[in-house]
Amino acid sequence: MEAALEICGVTKTFGSTLGVDDLNLVMPRGTTYGLIGPSGAGKTTAIRMIMSILFPDRGSLRVLGRASALEAKDRIGYLPEERGVYRKMRADEFLSYIGRLKGGARAAVAARAGRLLARLGLAEAASKKCEELSKGMLQRVQFVAAIINEPELLILDEPFGGLDPLSVQLLKELIAEEQRRGATILFSTHVMAHAEELCQHIVMIHKGRKVLDEPIAGLRRRYDLRTIRLEPLDPGTDLAVLRTVAGVESVRPAADEALEIRLAEGTDPGSAVCAIAALIPPARIELARVRLEDVFIRLVTGRISTDESNLALRTHLQGLGTEGAVP
Amino acid sequence: MSNRVLMVAQRDFLATVTSRGFLLGLLVMPLLLLVLAVLIPRFARAHGPPIHGEVAVIDASGKVLAELRAALSPERLAASAAPRINAGGPPAGFGQSGPPPILTVIERTGGADPGQAKAWLIQPPKAEPPHLAFIVIHTDAVVRAPGEREFGGYDLYVSRSLDDGTEGVIHEGVRRALVTTRLRSSGIDEGTVTATMRVARPQAVVVGASGEQSARRGLSRMLPFISGLLLFIGVFTAGQLLMTSTIEEKSSRVVEVLLAAVSPLELMAGKLLAQLGVGLLILTMYVGLGVLALSQFSMLSALDPLLVFYLVLFYLLAYLVYGGLMLAIGGAVSQIADAQSMMAPVMLLIVIPYVLTQFIGNAPNAPLSVALSFIPPANSFAMLARLASGTPPPVWQVCLSVAAGLAAAAAAVWFAAKVLRIGLLMQGKPPDLATLVRWARMA
Repeated sequence: MEAALEICGVTKTFGSTLGVDDLNLVMPRGTTYGLIGPSGAGKTTAIRMIMSILFPDRGSLRVLGRASALEAKDRIGYLPEERGVYRKMRADEFLSYIGRLKGGARAAVAARAGRLLARLGLAEAASKKCEELSKGMLQRVQFVAAIINEPELLILDEPFGGLDPLSVQLLKELIAEEQRRGATILFSTHVMAHAEELCQHIVMIHKGRKVLDEPIAGLRRRYDLRTIRLEPLDPGTDLAVLRTVAGVESVRPAADEALEIRLAEGTDPGSAVCAIAALIPPARIELARVRLEDVFIRLVTGRISTDESNLALRTHLQGLGTEGAVP
Repeated sequence: MSNRVLMVAQRDFLATVTSRGFLLGLLVMPLLLLVLAVLIPRFARAHGPPIHGEVAVIDASGKVLAELRAALSPERLAASAAPRINAGGPPAGFGQSGPPPILTVIERTGGADPGQAKAWLIQPPKAEPPHLAFIVIHTDAVVRAPGEREFGGYDLYVSRSLDDGTEGVIHEGVRRALVTTRLRSSGIDEGTVTATMRVARPQAVVVGASGEQSARRGLSRMLPFISGLLLFIGVFTAGQLLMTSTIEEKSSRVVEVLLAAVSPLELMAGKLLAQLGVGLLILTMYVGLGVLALSQFSMLSALDPLLVFYLVLFYLLAYLVYGGLMLAIGGAVSQIADAQSMMAPVMLLIVIPYVLTQFIGNAPNAPLSVALSFIPPANSFAMLARLASGTPPPVWQVCLSVAAGLAAAAAAVWFAAKVLRIGLLMQGKPPDLATLVRWARMA
């Protein structure tokens, strides 16, 4: 089957600033891709070119089998990062307008809008003017606008920005429904945890260039960080004995009262787990799963050399404030 | 035309015409015109308290005083003011609008001494009766001095508190008194002279292919200006609305949501179409009111239906030029305040042609009028004013003007499309004119 999206050697500059540099990407239909990278990496520029809102200086795109998104806009759902509404319009009228612009029949659009708004707890808000809705409610309305036409390709640019946890959860459920419906989803975020949870495939962009294009499963195999997470049965256990285990490189406390034990390269993690468990009876011991921010930092580490900048980048990628430290 | 363009146009049109600001503006403008046309003249003619005071006269000729008393008497002043007041214009010889002043003429003796006059006029504040003016009539004011061809005149000294209107009344009174006295002293009957000088001005009759019409020359003379005003109101209002709606969509960030559904070109076409409709609605309302007013006075025949067609045609051309530029400004900036500096030169592009319509209407075939008919964006105003004038231009000039307008409209819309393609997603510092031109070349 033809890919939902094909990007071939696309480059975009803004004056002397490089927005996207020689981007290549193929998204098969029905997949969910995470487009990740820190703010300013070029994600939004790439998405705007996919949507034919911006046009590349070089390279070509095919969207849903067409030479341009302009020819397939009715089949694409798009939630931009900078999204707005007509403030004087009623929420249901706004959704009806967007749905009809995308080729939907008035009655069908109204019915779907009503159903989705009710699903997101906005049934009462449907008849209110957009200016009367809270920011969180508006963001949910905007999300509904993106999927109002049951798109074949759904592009979500930072969909959870500024949302409360409950709204995030509701939106994740709707995204999952769109996945089940068979939509191809391109999901841009700088919060790696969201991408880990929702995507099957990750594309990383850094300073306009693609630095990673791989399935999540493959990433986990390839970028194993050799980290063991240990929660001792006895919190008062002397941890110094861990230094005697072959291959243990460092030990440091983790956020959830556990310890993170970093292994030296070449160490067999299975043997290390057994050795550690023999020395310190564990309440819990596990191999930590690779995190996307760790992968990202590894990939760009040549350019980010100091611990401080690594910490800042990880914090940014996690979207967690000051939590998280680079081992 | 794409269905999406029509949907964008419909939304923008309805959002505009149902907004409180627009409805208020739609009502306010006719009300303002009503105030200008009816209430202000009425208030201007409203009677305030009459001015009263003394006017001192030294009549060195010894012949004018009695006639001057009569000329400045309240009865004579009221009688001479009445016909003009009834005609709706300012009273004869009156620069003022209130009732005639009540002047008491007192005789002073002595030579024509300015010092005496000045001393008499200087009074403490609120002194009664107020000394308003001091007239010195020359000795040869009624009988010419030997060897002189001209009569002598008079000097007038006035108090600081005397208004221009009353001063005009006094001048007119002295003039009448002198003329009457001179005629009488020459043995000529004033009534005969007045009758000899009077030639009644008949209403002109316009003769055309459709027969003779009683001319409404006043209306005909005003038509170029009225059509220019209508064009200005329609184009200016629609252009402003186009710019503000674009800026609103940018600042509310809804524009990127729209661009996910329509192309920038479709969005632009829809917006242009919407405000074109708004402008036509405004024109329809004003033309409708005008037709209603003309039919009330049985003057509908003075309005050529072809002129309404030309009004719509040149509105379309002027709107596309001006609207295109306003759309480009709206697409380039993020806030209304940022648009001000760019708007000034664009506004001049329609204000100057509009101001010139009066001249063009009076001199429709002057070289400047003809030249402006082919130079956008003035061409619409100039050609419409010429078409509305008494001597409309030849057909080839109308065609050339339309062609020039179409070329300018295409260029303006092309420029707007280029600027929008880049500017719609730009936020922050507004670009300058050079940047806009660079965008147009880049896009």
